[in-house]
Amino acid sequence: MAHDQTAARVDRPLLFRIVAGTLFVLLVSLPVLGGPLSGSSAGVSPYVANIIGQIATFALLALALDLIWGFGGILSLGHGLFFAMGGYLIAMHMLKSGYVYGGVTPDIMTFMGWSELPSYWALFESFPYVMLLILVVPGILAFVYGYVSFRSRVSGVYFAIITQALTYVAMLLMFRNDTGFGGNNGMTGFTTLVGIDIGAPSMVVGLATTSVLVLLVAFLACGALMRSPFGRLLIAIRDDEARLRFLGYDTLWPKLAVWCLSGVLAAIAGALYVPQVGIINPRLLSPEVSIEIAVWVALGGRGALSGAVIGAAIISALKFWLTGFVPELWPFILAGVILLVVTLLPNGLLDLKLTFLRRASTRKASARPAE
Amino acid sequence: MQPAYAGCTFPALHLDLIMLFFRRTLARFFIPLLLIVASMPAHAQDRAAILTEICSGDFAAQQSALGQLASAGVEQGETGASWARTIVDAFEGRNLRCGDGMAVIDGDAGAVMAGTLEPVTNVDSASLDAPSVNLRLRAVAASANAVLRLFTEMEAAERLNAANYIDQRREAATGTNIGAALERETDPDVRAVLITLRASLLMSDDDPTNRIVAIEAIAEDATLRNRTMIAEAIKTETDAAVIASGEAALADIDQTLAIGQVLATLYAGASYASVLFLAALGLAIIFGLMGVINLAQGELIMVGAYAAWFTQEAIRVTVPGLLDYYLIIAIPISFLVAALVGLIMEVLVIRRLYDRPLMTLLATWAISILLINTVRVTIGSQNLEFHQPGYVAGGFPIVGDFIMTSNRLFAIAIAVLAFVAVVVVLRKSLFGMNVRAVTQNRSMAGAVGIDTRRTDMMAFALGSGLAGLAGLALSPLYNVNPGMGTGFIVDSFMVVVLGGVGSLIGAIVAAFGIGQINVIIEPIYGAVAAKVFVLLMVIVFIQWRPEGLFAPKGRR
Repeated sequence: MAHDQTAARVDRPLLFRIVAGTLFVLLVSLPVLGGPLSGSSAGVSPYVANIIGQIATFALLALALDLIWGFGGILSLGHGLFFAMGGYLIAMHMLKSGYVYGGVTPDIMTFMGWSELPSYWALFESFPYVMLLILVVPGILAFVYGYVSFRSRVSGVYFAIITQALTYVAMLLMFRNDTGFGGNNGMTGFTTLVGIDIGAPSMVVGLATTSVLVLLVAFLACGALMRSPFGRLLIAIRDDEARLRFLGYDTLWPKLAVWCLSGVLAAIAGALYVPQVGIINPRLLSPEVSIEIAVWVALGGRGALSGAVIGAAIISALKFWLTGFVPELWPFILAGVILLVVTLLPNGLLDLKLTFLRRASTRKASARPAE
Repeated sequence: MQPAYAGCTFPALHLDLIMLFFRRTLARFFIPLLLIVASMPAHAQDRAAILTEICSGDFAAQQSALGQLASAGVEQGETGASWARTIVDAFEGRNLRCGDGMAVIDGDAGAVMAGTLEPVTNVDSASLDAPSVNLRLRAVAASANAVLRLFTEMEAAERLNAANYIDQRREAATGTNIGAALERETDPDVRAVLITLRASLLMSDDDPTNRIVAIEAIAEDATLRNRTMIAEAIKTETDAAVIASGEAALADIDQTLAIGQVLATLYAGASYASVLFLAALGLAIIFGLMGVINLAQGELIMVGAYAAWFTQEAIRVTVPGLLDYYLIIAIPISFLVAALVGLIMEVLVIRRLYDRPLMTLLATWAISILLINTVRVTIGSQNLEFHQPGYVAGGFPIVGDFIMTSNRLFAIAIAVLAFVAVVVVLRKSLFGMNVRAVTQNRSMAGAVGIDTRRTDMMAFALGSGLAGLAGLALSPLYNVNPGMGTGFIVDSFMVVVLGGVGSLIGAIVAAFGIGQINVIIEPIYGAVAAKVFVLLMVIVFIQWRPEGLFAPKGRR
């Protein structure tokens, strides 16, 4: 299926090091620049730190999708589902702990008409329990859905479309008030996380730093995983699954493993994202959000972890900047970027240099061999 | 005039009252017998009696007279009815004058005898009294007049008005006179009103047999309204036979209503399925041929609907006389506009992505947000207003409360036409043969000289045009706005996935199935549950048949 990728290329080593180095520099400098130096000219304001933190969660999300799409060759148009799942779980934790320890009645109880939180909110005030849920719940969903799909060899556009439909249906469900997660209003009005005021500058910088840290760890770990024999196997499945089956590999389990890993990473990104924006509602589940994730990866370059991070960073930074003054222009720009990438840069921005080289050589050679 | 004196206490007027009493009694019992009756045919005697009563000034007598007048058409047909109507008109207009044992009608051309309608010259009508008309009598008279109009009016529309009026004010209507009017009636609309009217009148008849007849007559038209009518009637009923007949009728109606309900649901499902089918057919052709899923298919539906709207506006400006036919005129226009948009998409974007099907998802999605936002910016995001021509308004009642509405019928008709056209094109034309060949084996088709790129382009345009037709078909049914396509896209894909790639029969069966599931679940559990159910069903189904219901046999 995906013949356009250079076989067995994990990443460009140089770019991989540049991205890892940048993330490391950010990780070290952010607490300093956002903390003691925040007021000075060289410092970083909490607002900027917050945006850096958000972009880091998007990059983590893109990384998650790149694992399954770039290396497994399986496009998911439903990663917003896992992202929102992590977000909803952490939001429930923040509301519940604020209610139990801080005595703050969440808005959701007012507009849902609840006198107390329903039974499925039990234990949500416990941070370790919620951390566990953030890993387990998306993992289970990914496992069940992945198992039934991969076992019956649903792949390609079929798989993509069904993940999109799944997310769409989840959005419809969450938009209903009686589903019990705040409906249209979602959840907001968070007060504290792990006992610290959510609006405090130290918390903002702390969350941003944590996001960068998680991204860096995930980036390095995924890089190592993809260079490992498991990663090679995955790339081989992407390039010719039928041949691997004939060679005696059971392709179900590697695919399923990376699919579950991808879902869990996306959920972690969501859990880091929601405390930083202070709200979650079902719009995160709309097909647009999920497709946008795929656009980040496509722009950065599939099958290159650094590409996913760079693509997410560029597009979301552009979006932060542009939606500030021309929000109605954003859909056009997004559509334009996609069309540009898919028609001219099949492997995203990482192809830019390659494409120019090919053009130059085409010009030199008057007779081009037929493809 | 007489009752107006009743409360007076002046002595002179007392005398007047006494005089009046005598005159009334005389007029009522003796004078007619002496003066009028002697040498007249039977119905003339009736007329005289009626006139005597109406002249009597006694409320009960006048009411009975109006009742008889209202029934004049029963035995005497149109002539009787027309005479009665003249009397009632005169009575209502206070032009009927009584006195000295005779009744005359005061008209512009002079007075006429009320009994014969022949001119009289020797009577000074101004000296005669007009019988009093109080509010209740006026109502009876108006009702009687309406009944008589059923017999005398030439225009069906006038009779329909009269019938509807009687339905509201039944003072003078009886099972007999409405029954007689019904026998003469030829217009189906008027008949429909009269049938229910007569039945409900007979329901309050004193004779139990008549009540049973009435219940049976009502039960013939099994609607929810008639069911309530019978249920209400047997609540207060005492006669056992009538109750039994009523209950039997209720059971019958319930059965018919249930059938009607099922048919109505199937029908609504079929119309939704038609739209889905049109959208999914295009998707299936494109997917089968090129392995490309067009995420902009929903927006091509939108383009088709907007093309229909522009057609309507253009006709409104240039030839307003043809406005009613805009839906027909828009059939080729919606198709061609959407096909053109599809063609441009194919040439500019899709053809560069044939070996990267996943990228086409992103590209077509980008095109879809481009189309949505372009329309939003240029035309606005409000719902468009469509003119509703007569042929898509209303419907045909079939069984029970099931009405085959024309707007849904229009959608179904478009789907059937498009299906036939697509089958003909694919089976009979050279282009269709090329499409089938390329779908089966692209490289072999290319090797035998088929221009596969051109075939792709044309097939993409065809698939897009079908989506445009879907937009036209749903414009009388659903809201038309820039975001309308997104709601259809999930369902259309489920149709393609379920039906199997490139299978026309599969698309039909899957569209019908998904359309039905939607309309069956929606009223019970809501639209969201319907979507959830369809999705879960498709996921489970794919486990069993990953290639769809009617996939071509073979390995891939």
